[in-house]
Amino acid sequence: MTQAAIYSRGITKCFGGLTAIDNIDLIVPEHSISSIIGPNGAGKTTLFNCVSGFYVPDKGEIHFFGQPIEGFPTHKISELGIARTYQNIRLFSEMTAIENILVGQHTRMQSIWVESILHNPRYLREEKAALQQAFDLLDFVGLSGLGDTPAHNLPYGAQRRLEIARALASQPSLLLLDEPTAGMNPQETAEMTAFIKNLRDSRQITILLIEHDMRVVMDISDQITVLDYGVKIAEGKPAEIQSNQRVIEAYLGPGAAALSKKFKRKKTHYA
Amino acid sequence: MMTSLKKGLRSGIVFGIVFIFLMLIGFINVGSNMIGDLLGNMENLGEEARLPVSNLLIFSGLFGLFTGINARKDEGDGKWWSGILGGLAGGLASGWLVWLAVWGSGSLYMQGVDFRTYLPNLGPERMRYLLFYSTPEAAANTYLTYFILFSLAGSVLAWAVSAVHGLKRGLTRAKESVTQWLDTKTVRQIFDNKWVLAVVMITVAALLYFLPLAWGSYWNYIMGTVAIYILLGLGLNIIVGYSGQLVLGYVAFFATGAYTFALLTSPAPHGIELNLVLAVGLSVLVSTLTGLLLGLPILNLRGDYLAIVTLGFGEIIRILIRSDLLTPLTNGPKGVTNVGQPNWFGQVFSDVNYMHLLMLLVLAGLFVAKRLKDSRTGRAWIAIREDQTVAQATGINTYGYKILALLLGAAFAGLGGALFASRNQFTGPEDFTLMVSVNVLCIVIVGGMGSLPGVVVGAFVLKGLPELLRELADYRLLAFGALLVLMMIIRPEGLWPAKRTRFRRLNRDPYENGAAEVEV
Amino acid sequence: MIKKLQNLKLTPGLILRLLVGLVVLIYLGWRIYQIAFGEGTYGPDTWMRFLITGLVIGGMYALIAIGYTLVYGILFMINFAHGEVVMLGTFAGYFMLEAFASIPAPTPADPDLTFLNAQPVIALVLTFLAGAGVSALLGYLLEKIAYRPLRGAPRLIPLISAIGASIFLQNAAQLLFGPQRRQYQNPDLLWRGTGWMIPVGGKEVMLTYTGAFSFILSILLMVGLFILVKKTKLGKSMRAVAENKQAAALMGIDVDSVISKTFIISGVLAGAAGVMWGIHNGLFNHFVGFIPGIKAFTAAVLGGIGNIPGAMMGGMLLGLLESLGPALLGLDFQLKDVIAFTILILVLIFRPSGLLGEALTEEKL
Repeated sequence: MTQAAIYSRGITKCFGGLTAIDNIDLIVPEHSISSIIGPNGAGKTTLFNCVSGFYVPDKGEIHFFGQPIEGFPTHKISELGIARTYQNIRLFSEMTAIENILVGQHTRMQSIWVESILHNPRYLREEKAALQQAFDLLDFVGLSGLGDTPAHNLPYGAQRRLEIARALASQPSLLLLDEPTAGMNPQETAEMTAFIKNLRDSRQITILLIEHDMRVVMDISDQITVLDYGVKIAEGKPAEIQSNQRVIEAYLGPGAAALSKKFKRKKTHYA
Repeated sequence: MMTSLKKGLRSGIVFGIVFIFLMLIGFINVGSNMIGDLLGNMENLGEEARLPVSNLLIFSGLFGLFTGINARKDEGDGKWWSGILGGLAGGLASGWLVWLAVWGSGSLYMQGVDFRTYLPNLGPERMRYLLFYSTPEAAANTYLTYFILFSLAGSVLAWAVSAVHGLKRGLTRAKESVTQWLDTKTVRQIFDNKWVLAVVMITVAALLYFLPLAWGSYWNYIMGTVAIYILLGLGLNIIVGYSGQLVLGYVAFFATGAYTFALLTSPAPHGIELNLVLAVGLSVLVSTLTGLLLGLPILNLRGDYLAIVTLGFGEIIRILIRSDLLTPLTNGPKGVTNVGQPNWFGQVFSDVNYMHLLMLLVLAGLFVAKRLKDSRTGRAWIAIREDQTVAQATGINTYGYKILALLLGAAFAGLGGALFASRNQFTGPEDFTLMVSVNVLCIVIVGGMGSLPGVVVGAFVLKGLPELLRELADYRLLAFGALLVLMMIIRPEGLWPAKRTRFRRLNRDPYENGAAEVEV
Repeated sequence: MIKKLQNLKLTPGLILRLLVGLVVLIYLGWRIYQIAFGEGTYGPDTWMRFLITGLVIGGMYALIAIGYTLVYGILFMINFAHGEVVMLGTFAGYFMLEAFASIPAPTPADPDLTFLNAQPVIALVLTFLAGAGVSALLGYLLEKIAYRPLRGAPRLIPLISAIGASIFLQNAAQLLFGPQRRQYQNPDLLWRGTGWMIPVGGKEVMLTYTGAFSFILSILLMVGLFILVKKTKLGKSMRAVAENKQAAALMGIDVDSVISKTFIISGVLAGAAGVMWGIHNGLFNHFVGFIPGIKAFTAAVLGGIGNIPGAMMGGMLLGLLESLGPALLGLDFQLKDVIAFTILILVLIFRPSGLLGEALTEEKL
């Protein structure tokens, strides 16, 4: 039985009088692609932020491969091996693409400021290796040759991929993707979907994502967790979730479940 | 047509008001004298000499010209006479405003009113000059005529320049082709060649060595100040330019460095006459510690709070230095004299030696700053500046790096302070006012935030230029303030903006132009 | 609460804060003991005098601080030139009073009477209007020329522009009117140094007419502003624009106009404060706005930047601290500015958003 990448119990987070998420349990198996879905305002990003250390949950515990991480500062969490992307892309816009990736590698490098001035052998070695890896990652996400472009000059799709490259640069074992296909047309979405699958397969990392595009979710998830109004209403494999009454009603309103039975469709596959 | 009329009017009113303002502060006279110097008609003026009014006419004419040019600027619509109309409107507006001002003040003057109780810069002598040594009516009419004429001329000039369509486009194309040529393989190969670099470096070194010998002690002093401010600018650049922390109290570190050095090397008040190198080291150390003291409690404050707290800190240091409380330590308002002078085997440094020393230190500072910028540390700082929350989530210990920036910046200030005290042989609390912090901040931002050539250029412009314009001494700060506002509006990225490093692909041909081969 | 204590991580920052807090508390306790039970160098009459001074100057600081906080709340920038807006209001008031003092209005009883003393109330009202008007105009122009073009730029750019404007205005005033210090000519009714004598602790303390006048006027203006912001449509628009410019624009609010009006209002308060300063303190020159400006901004931060009641409170508090602080802490009066800044730093260490907290939204992720 593999240890869960994320094992969290009873996560609760309140803002003032509003309870954003209430008593959520979430288990993310290692090497899986797990999705969190739910209508807007369900608390998905809040949960994400708790797992990635941006918020400290008011109640509950989160374990990352057995290690408790609630309340850790975000750089510590990155060090432990969790990396994330953001719903509205947050790259370092004035820096070039390569530099963004190099910053991503920050935790895996050791040189200190004195070495930066001295340019001693270890520093030079590290910088060279980092640069090489950065270029490799750039190729991996399909942005070859764009390395010297300032991040804000890149087209939208490229920016999303760069953000993923930056996240991968820290060699994470868990990758959190916040709406990776937001704003993409069907072809880009298909490419991103294939890319995510390839990520998991070739790099052996665990992926947790928030998504709104149901085709993507149903296509690649090993496990889906559904939130609504801050509460978990369903969890399981794609097929189970598709036919879950509560889920359908959460998205489409009461009475929709009956309708959906009538118009149940087979999953479509993209090339 | 209405827009150009309105533009003309607006430009006329603005320039008219500016002209009247300059009249009231006596700048017209100074400006005219400068023109006189340029034209050389100011020599051999006898006792009862009347200043050449031609200069004044030229000065006013320039104003008219600007009015007209401004009225016509960027006029897209083809109607050639609309611009002329605008120029006419501008000339009328400014002309009449000035007419009123001159006639009004002139008449009052004729009746014996002395303005100097309320407007000290508008004394009788100046009034007479402004009135062309004649009557208010005649003078006012002269101004009016001149403004209208020159405003029309200005608008015609502007029209002529814009009518030559190709001009602007041609210039841009020329610039582009030059940049492209510089980027080609052959040119890049030349500049990367070891021998070429060596020759360039030797020429620069020779220049740096011989200039101080050539230009005399006055320039050595000014350039020395510029050099010290470059060092300060480098330090603040690390804090503000790299890590993005708005520190308005930088003078605090400067002061502690200067005072440490002064107190350690002067016979009074403590009589410690420490070895100078040691003293410099200790000054840097003390400044760094001051940085630590300031940084630790407040570093998690938001940008503007940080600004005001650091500003307060700078003021606190200055007030404490001159207070009775600390006078036993610092010698209070009297300052510290006879600060230690560096010497080379017994011979005290001359101003030339000082200049060489400062140049060496500036080069060393630039070297360190550049190396820091293009390293993991530098990238971490810039990431923090761009987006602190995300930077931290990407694994950067923001707290630690921000403190590091503060400490290194303070260290630079400490070094600068020690040099400052040593060179002036004296230092006192009034050397460390808020204006110093403001000056250094402006050097960093006007030069270009995060840019090293920017800091150098900024120091030259903001510290060196005022020295060149000695004649305008009284008006220096006025111009400084206006320049700052203008710079921010026209060119906020700075005089020499920071450029991000371009990395060449490692294994491939180092001169292949990567960006061109992409399909997006 | 217990869980919170358990979750508290012992960072160096936290340890430092606790140490500093401890030191401050011990010192304060010792001082309070000294004052209460020791012979005490100051009698109750002196304390009363300090208190009065503190309140009067606190009122002025509050007005200036509100100006800072209004601008910050709406544009997120520090209006560095606000002190100069105050200063020019002071000058405007001065010229008005000089003008009134030179208009003869002789009566049979008093052939030397001037307009200033014949109709002091009208003269004062007009003076304040002039001061407020000039400052308001200056605020408006400042925004239009130096800040509006920089609306979208990163934080530091408008700040430098503001610094430039501040330097420009200071020097413009110096070049126009000269560096010498001038003195306000008050009407006899409000002559500096005259006032009611109040018996305190056996001795008599003077409550100056100018002081009382300034204080009451400050309170009135603050109340007026409060009503404006809370009850009027303009106030609502201002709050809307402060919260979210784009949304406000979509709701049909003319954002540019609201911003201009904000500057005008802050100018009015600044001008009034400037005239008050002249009437109460007498001497002034082109530099008079600079230090009080910085202090008032400190006060605004103290109360929580962007927060209007906070600015009012911060201003009053700063005035009191300045006045009572040195005596309270047994330190030299030279150090009164140091005390003000130190208090600010201490407050920000323990309450980073200021005493009443800022009215800003959480960062969205």
